[in-house]
Amino acid sequence: MSCLIVQSDKTLLLEVDHELADACRRAIAPFAELERAPEHIHTYRLTPLGLWNARAAGHDAEQVVDALVEYSRYPVPHALLVDVAETMDRYGRLRLSKDPAHGLVLTTTDRPVLEEILRSKRVQPLVGARIDQDTVAVHPSERGQIKQVLLKLGWPAEDFAGYVDGEAHPIALAEDGWALRPYQKQAVEGFWHGGSGVVVLPCGAGKTLVGAGAMAEAKATTLILVTNTVSARQWKHELVKRTSLTEEEIGEYSGTRKEIRPVTIATYQVLTTRRKGVYPHLELFDSRDWGLIVYDEVHLLPAPVFKFTADLQARRRLGLTATLVREDGRESDVFSLIGPKRFDAPWKEIEAQGYIAPADCVEVRVNLTDAERLAYATAETEEKYRYCATTDTKRRVTEALVAKHAGEQTLVIGQYIDQLDELGEHLNAPVIKGETPNSQREKLFEAFRQGELSVLVVSKVANFSIDLPEATVAIQVSGTFGSRQEEAQRLGRVLRPKADGHEARFYSVVARDTIDQDFAAHRQRFLAEQGYAYRIVDADDLLTGADEDI
Amino acid sequence: MKHASRAETEAETAFSAYPGPVLRVRGRTGPNVGRMTTGGSSGAPRTLAEDLRARDDDALAALLRARPDLLAPVPTDLTQLATRAATRTSVLRALDHLDAFTQQAAEALAVTADGCPYDTLRELMTGRSPVAGVGEALDPDVAAAVAGALPRAVAALREHGLIWGEEDRLRLVRTARDVLAPSAATPSPTGLGPSVAEATAGMSPARLQEVLADAGLAATHDPSSAITALAGLFADPERFGALLAEAPEGARAVLDRLVWGPPYGEVRDATAAVRAAGAGTPVQWLLARGLLLPAGQHNVVLPREAALALRAGRAHRTPQPVPPAVAPVQRTAKTVDATAAGQAFTAVRTVTDLLKEWQTGGPAVLRAGGISVRDLRRTAAALDLTEPQTAFWLELAYAAGLVATDGEVDEAYAPTPAADEWLLLPAERQWAALAAAWLAATRTAGLVGTRDPKGRALAALGPDLDRSLAPRVRRGALRLLAALPLGAAAGRGDLLARLRWDRPLRAAADALREDLLGWTLEDAETLGVTGRGALAAHARPLLDSAEGLGQDRAAALLSPLLPEPLDHVLLQADLTAVAPGPLVAALAETLGVLADIESKGGATVYRFTPDSVRRALDAGRTAAELQAFLTKHSRTPVPQPLSYLIDDMARRHGTLRVGAAAAYLRCDDDALLTELLADRRASGLGLRRLAPTVLAAQTDPSTLLERLRAMGLAPAAESADGDVLITRPDARRTPPRTPPVPVPDGPPVPDAALLGLAVKAIRAGDRAATAVHRTPSDPPPGLPRTPAADTLATVQSAVLTGESLWIGYVNAEGNATQRVIAPVRVEGGYVTAYDHTADEVRTFAIHRITGVAELAEDPS
Repeated sequence: MSCLIVQSDKTLLLEVDHELADACRRAIAPFAELERAPEHIHTYRLTPLGLWNARAAGHDAEQVVDALVEYSRYPVPHALLVDVAETMDRYGRLRLSKDPAHGLVLTTTDRPVLEEILRSKRVQPLVGARIDQDTVAVHPSERGQIKQVLLKLGWPAEDFAGYVDGEAHPIALAEDGWALRPYQKQAVEGFWHGGSGVVVLPCGAGKTLVGAGAMAEAKATTLILVTNTVSARQWKHELVKRTSLTEEEIGEYSGTRKEIRPVTIATYQVLTTRRKGVYPHLELFDSRDWGLIVYDEVHLLPAPVFKFTADLQARRRLGLTATLVREDGRESDVFSLIGPKRFDAPWKEIEAQGYIAPADCVEVRVNLTDAERLAYATAETEEKYRYCATTDTKRRVTEALVAKHAGEQTLVIGQYIDQLDELGEHLNAPVIKGETPNSQREKLFEAFRQGELSVLVVSKVANFSIDLPEATVAIQVSGTFGSRQEEAQRLGRVLRPKADGHEARFYSVVARDTIDQDFAAHRQRFLAEQGYAYRIVDADDLLTGADEDI
Repeated sequence: MKHASRAETEAETAFSAYPGPVLRVRGRTGPNVGRMTTGGSSGAPRTLAEDLRARDDDALAALLRARPDLLAPVPTDLTQLATRAATRTSVLRALDHLDAFTQQAAEALAVTADGCPYDTLRELMTGRSPVAGVGEALDPDVAAAVAGALPRAVAALREHGLIWGEEDRLRLVRTARDVLAPSAATPSPTGLGPSVAEATAGMSPARLQEVLADAGLAATHDPSSAITALAGLFADPERFGALLAEAPEGARAVLDRLVWGPPYGEVRDATAAVRAAGAGTPVQWLLARGLLLPAGQHNVVLPREAALALRAGRAHRTPQPVPPAVAPVQRTAKTVDATAAGQAFTAVRTVTDLLKEWQTGGPAVLRAGGISVRDLRRTAAALDLTEPQTAFWLELAYAAGLVATDGEVDEAYAPTPAADEWLLLPAERQWAALAAAWLAATRTAGLVGTRDPKGRALAALGPDLDRSLAPRVRRGALRLLAALPLGAAAGRGDLLARLRWDRPLRAAADALREDLLGWTLEDAETLGVTGRGALAAHARPLLDSAEGLGQDRAAALLSPLLPEPLDHVLLQADLTAVAPGPLVAALAETLGVLADIESKGGATVYRFTPDSVRRALDAGRTAAELQAFLTKHSRTPVPQPLSYLIDDMARRHGTLRVGAAAAYLRCDDDALLTELLADRRASGLGLRRLAPTVLAAQTDPSTLLERLRAMGLAPAAESADGDVLITRPDARRTPPRTPPVPVPDGPPVPDAALLGLAVKAIRAGDRAATAVHRTPSDPPPGLPRTPAADTLATVQSAVLTGESLWIGYVNAEGNATQRVIAPVRVEGGYVTAYDHTADEVRTFAIHRITGVAELAEDPS
C-alpha cells in the first residue's frame, strides 16, 4: 500500500502519515499544485499550469508519469496519464528566441502548431514576417503579449530570448550575524536559474530576504513594486539592514515622494493612478535601465500593472507571494507575464522548521442578543454583513479577549472604521486606518514594536507587509466579506517567529447564525486547507470564564 | 426388480440373436448408403448431393457447423441439403465466412473450366516460370507458402460444401461459380476478364475467321473451333510469346495496364473490323489479333486466357497464403492486470452510480425510442463523464438488462429488478456480468450521435444501434490479443489487417468493422477487459469458456485484484472526509447522505456542508447518531469544526415546524381549550394543541363552527387578517359572466353575395341533371357510364374544344356525385377543370370518373 491516490478528476491525495509520504511529496511537488493540506490527507492537483511549470523547471512527462505510477496505491487511470503527457508535450513546441538577423523570433519544432496559432486572430497583430517555415518574427514590444495569447491558446511558449543585464550596481547581502535560511537560498537559486518567475512563501517566512538575495545575484539596478507606502518603508528598512545598500541608494516612489535611485521602491497605487486617461507615472519603468523588477504580493497585482509588465519581458522579474490563489482567477497572466513558479514551500513545513511561529486559530462564536437578531433580520441585504459584523456583543467579546491577553502584544483587525474607532475608545488603544498619516503610522508601529503600546487597532491598511514581529495575538472582528487571502495575510501578521518561541494566537470573532459565519467559513477555507485547523469556542463560555483554556 | 432385469436380458438376447435381419433392415432402408459405398470406391460423384452422401457423419456435422443456415429448418434428406447449400443466399453467406486465402482459392477455381484438377488450381495460385519473357514469376517463398496453404484452403471449401468431386476434378458449386466468375457487372477480385468464348459471343463468324487469320492461325470451319484455336494460342506460352514478340511498341504498355485488372479499357471505336494490315495503333494491332476483344461500342476487354498468359498463369497478383502477423507490444502482465482491474472497478462503480442516478426518475423515452440529447447531457453531467462515454455506459447497462423502459404511460427509463440483484453481487461478479453482456451485445454505443442514412441522429438507447458484426469484431479482436503472449498488446493496424484476412468484407461492412474495432479497443480499455492495450488475465475466461463458467472464473481471477472495501474514513478539520479506497456499502450510503462527494476515483473525497448535514437530519438522523457514526468510522478523532457544524445544524434543524391544519381555534382562556380537548363530542374534529391558547383542527371552519355551536359554545369566525367575521347569510354571486347571445327565430337573412352563389350552384346542378345528351341518344338516367379509354378521349377532346362535360364522379370517401365540368388540362391521370357545380377550378382523378357525356347544346 503506497501513500498516493490518483483520482480521475486529476487530484492527487497524499496520506501524510504514511512512511513514504515525504519521498512522494518530493516526487510530485514539482508538477502538482498543493491545493489543500489539512492534517491527514493533502490534496494536490494536476493543472496545465502546474505541468508547464514542471516543464519549465526541466521535468519531462516521463518523470511525472513515473512518479504517479510509482507512488499510486491504485492503478492510475490511463486517460490521465495520456493527458499529462499530451499537456506537457504542448510546452516548448514554440520558443521565443533572439535571432542575430531578425531580432525576436518565434520558432517551432512542430510546424502544424505554428500554422494553427498563426491562424488565430489574436496572434496575427503580434507577429511580423514569416522568416521560414518554422520561424516567424515577433515585434519585440509584443513579447509579453504573445506569451499571454499563446498560453490562452494552450501552446505556452518557452522564452529563451534572454534578459538585458541592466545597469550594473553593486549589491551584496550583509550577512553579519544572520544568514539566508536554507529555503530562502533555494528560492533565490531557483529564481536565478529560471531567469524569471514567482516564489511562493508563507507570510512571515522572509520574502523580503528572498528579494534581497535576488538583488544580490543580479547586482543591478532594481525596481521594487509593493502594495503601499508602509510596506515600501519596510522594504527600505530591511534592505538597508540586510544588504550593502545605503539609505541614499534607495528611492521611494509613492504618492508623497518621487525619488528615482538605483533601487527604487514604488507602490502599485501610484503606478496605476490615472490622470486624463493616461498613466503619468509609467515613465518610471523606462527611467532607468532596470536589471531586475521585484513584484511584492503578486496575487494582488492590479490589472494595469500586468499590462505594463507585458512590455518588460526583457528584464528579469521576480514575483513574491504567499499564495497564487487570486480571487480574480488571473493565475495564467502571472504565469505568462511574470513567469512560472520557481519555488514553493507549504506553510506547515516552514513552521515545522521553526521559521514561522506556530499559530493557534480560534473562531469565537458569538450569540447575538434577541434585539440584535431582530435588527439583523430586518436589515437591508447589503447592510446585513456590516450589521452583524459590528454588533455590540462582538465588541464586548473582543474586549474580553483583549483583557484575557493583557500584557501580550495584541492587534485588533477590522474592516469598518466606526467599529474600529469605537473599539479603540473602549480599549483605550490607538487606531490606524487609511486616513492616518504615514508618519503617525510609523510612529505607532515603532511604539508597538518597542512594547510601549500593547494593543493596536488596525484597519485593512495593515493587511500587508507590515512587519510587527512581536504581535502574538490578533483578533479579527470583521473582514472584507469572504476574502480568503485576507485571512491568510492577517494570520501572517502574528506568524513572525517570537523571541521566546511561544505560540501565536489568532482569533476570529464571528456572529453565530448570520452571514458573518458563512463568510468566516469561506475565509477560513484557505488556512484550513493549509493545515491551520480552527478551534471553535463559544463566546458565552469565554465571557463566563467556563473555558479556562482560552 | 427381477422381472425388469429379465426383460433387459431378453432384449439383449433378441438383439444379438438376430444380427442378420438387423443388418438387412439397414440395408433396405438406406439404399443411398449402399450406393455411397460403391460410388465412393468405384466412381466419381456426379452431383453435390452424391458427394455429400459420400461424406461421413463428422464431415456433414462440420458442414452444418460451418453453415448453420442450412439447418433452418432441418432438411429432410441430402438432396434437399445439397439444394439448399447451393442457393445463392446461402452460398454468399458461406463465401463471406471464408478467410482471404480460401476466398482467393475459390476465385481461382471460378476462372477455370468446371472440373478443374488440383494441380491446375495450384498452378493458378502459384503461377509458372515465365516463358519467353512474358509475365513475372511469383516470389519463390510466397509460392512455397501458397503451395503449402492450398490443401487447407481446398479442404475448407470442401468442408463448406462449396466444392465437391475428386482431387483431379474439383467442382465448384454452380452458384458459387456464378457469383465469383468475372463478368462485366461484377468484376472479380482476380482482375481477370471473360474468356475468349464469352467475349466473342456476339462476334460474326466471318470476323472471327479474320481475327484467326491475323493471329497467324489456320482457318477453321466453325466458330467454336475458331475460339478453341484462339484460346489454345493464348494458353500455349511458346506461341503466345512469339506472337507478342512481334507486337509494335506501345502494345505491351496497353496490355500491362489491363493485365492485373480491371481488364476493360476505353477506346474510340472498339467494333471496327480492323485487319492486321490496316492496324495503325497498338490497340488496333491487338484488336486485329484478338488479344483485345470488343466489349461494346467504346470498350475493349483483355480475354482471360491472354491475361493469364501475361501473368505467367497466376490468378492473383498477391496471394495471401498466411495471415498477416500481429506484432506483440510487450507490457508487464502485472501492470496490465492492475490497470484493467482498476478500470473494472471504475466500470462497476460508474454503472452503480448510473443506476442510483436513474432510480429516482430516469429520462423519458423519446417517441422513436431512446433518450434525448439533453437527457444524455444531463446524465453525463451527473456522472461527470463525457457524452460518448455516458452513451457507452448507458448501452452497457441496457445490454446487461440493468435499465429498461418502465412501460408506464409517460414512459421513462428506470433500473430493472435485475439491477437490484446485480447491485447485491460482489464487485467482481458485477464486472463479469457487465463484461459478458458487452462481449455479446450487438448494440453499438459508438454510433450514438451519428446520423443514419435518412439524416436522423441516432439516440442513446434508441433503435438502429444494433450491428450484428459488433460481437464478432469484439471476440475476433480479443481472441487475437489472447493469442499473444501474456501481457502483450497489439497495434490497431495489425489487428485490423488480421481481421481483414480472417474475413474479407465488402467495402461498406469493412468501414464499419474498422470503426467497430476502434470502439472495441476503447471500450475494452474502459471496461477493464484490457489494460494498456493488452488482454487482462481475468478477461480470458470470458473468451474461451462457456457463458456461466467463464463468468465464474473471470470473477475469481479479478477478485484478488480489486481493492478491499474499507470500513473507515479520515476526517479532517477542513470539513472533508477522505475514504482512501472503496467503502463498504452501508458506510458509503450514509456518508453519501451526510456529505457531498467532491472527487471520485480510487478514493472518495467527501465534503461536509450545512446543506449536506441538514440532508442527513432530514433523513431522520439525529445529531448524536451522526456524531456516533463519525466517531465509529473515523480512524482519526472527529475534528471540532465538524462536531460544531453538526451540532449547529441540529440545533437549528426543526426549530421551525410546518404542518397543515384545516382550521384553528384561538382562545385566551386556555382552560376552555383544555376542556374542549377533553370533551368526547369534540373527538371527531381532529383537535391538537399547538400552544396553550391555540388548537389546530382537521375540520373545515364552517363545520367546526357548527359543531362547536352544537356543543353549546359561542365561537366566532376569524378572517385571514384576524378580524372577527360578521355572520350573516351570504348574498351569493357568480364569477363574472357574459350575457347570453340572443337566439333569433329562423335563419339569419342571407346577404347578396351568398344569394348569388347559391343561385349559381343551384343552376349548375340543374344543368347537370337536365342536360340533353348528344350521345348516346338515350342516356341512362343518373350516372353515365363509359369505359376508361372513352372517358380519357372525351375529356381530351373537350379540352381542345373547350366544351363542358357531364361526369359522374366518385370522391375519396366513395360518394358518387354528378358534376358539370369544363376540362382545362389532362395530365398524369388527372383532369384539371372548371367545376360548374362547385364554381371553382378543381382536379379530378380520371380513374374516379365513372362516366362522361357531352352536354347537349345549351338549350337556351
